[in-house]
Amino acid sequence: MNRILAPALLAAALSGLAWAGTTPAPRDAIAYIGYPNDGQVVPANKPFRVWFGLRYMGVAPKGVKYPNTGHHHLLIDTDLPPMDQEIPSDRQHLHFGAGETETMIELPPGKHTLQMLMGDDKHVPTDPPVYSKKITVIAR
Amino acid sequence: MRITKISGVLATLLVASVASVALPTARAASAALTPSPPGAQEYIIWPSDGTVIYGGKLWVRMGLRNMGVCPKGANVPNTGHHHLLIDTDLPPLDQEIPSDRQHLHFGAGETDARIELPPGKHTLQLLLGDYNHVPHSPPVYSKKITIIVK
Repeated sequence: MNRILAPALLAAALSGLAWAGTTPAPRDAIAYIGYPNDGQVVPANKPFRVWFGLRYMGVAPKGVKYPNTGHHHLLIDTDLPPMDQEIPSDRQHLHFGAGETETMIELPPGKHTLQMLMGDDKHVPTDPPVYSKKITVIAR
Repeated sequence: MRITKISGVLATLLVASVASVALPTARAASAALTPSPPGAQEYIIWPSDGTVIYGGKLWVRMGLRNMGVCPKGANVPNTGHHHLLIDTDLPPLDQEIPSDRQHLHFGAGETDARIELPPGKHTLQLLLGDYNHVPHSPPVYSKKITIIVK
């Protein structure tokens, strides 16, 4: 029993090391996309608004260290990046380091995914990482 | 001995003159409000005006456009933190926003507020405060909405 359990526990512990950054976040913190809704049709090649939601946690711009805060990152058509490193900054990983809580984006026709991920004052995900459900929108 | 006395008098005079100078300075400082960027807009995402809430517990979602959220104490340009005014008018816009049950401060950068209200008609309004809880210039506040709790 122990022979089976021990490696499993060790593996879990090791993977736990790389699972998150070092800035603590409240256990019950929730990031969500307030708008658009999952499955929603949005106008293609036209700006539409995305609302960032956050509960049991606060927003702080990059560089500001304040307990239980972070800033929003919007992931477009991509999976979650590594949780123990700085979130990439490119067209698929939009940073809102000025403390923004909404934005306007424009997408080409087709299916797209959107997901929020909180980063700490240095753009690294928190421990535990705080991210939203990944939603799909259809640009038409 | 005499010198000490004189210097004591001088010190008193100095303190008095500093105090008399300090008062107008404090007033001048309150006039120098934190600027807000053009296009800044605060609004209540939810609930909408006239919403009926059953049970009295609700999440208020606080919206901010063309500006960012920042916790109290950190002076970052073009940011502020939300204050939710319940059943009250806007306070003086050149002073620290009061902190009581009708003026809720969200100095930790919160953008969603959980509140509970007794049955009846209530008004909600948001007012953005700077790192010192003082409104910006021009002030950034939402429309005042009415909700009904049943």
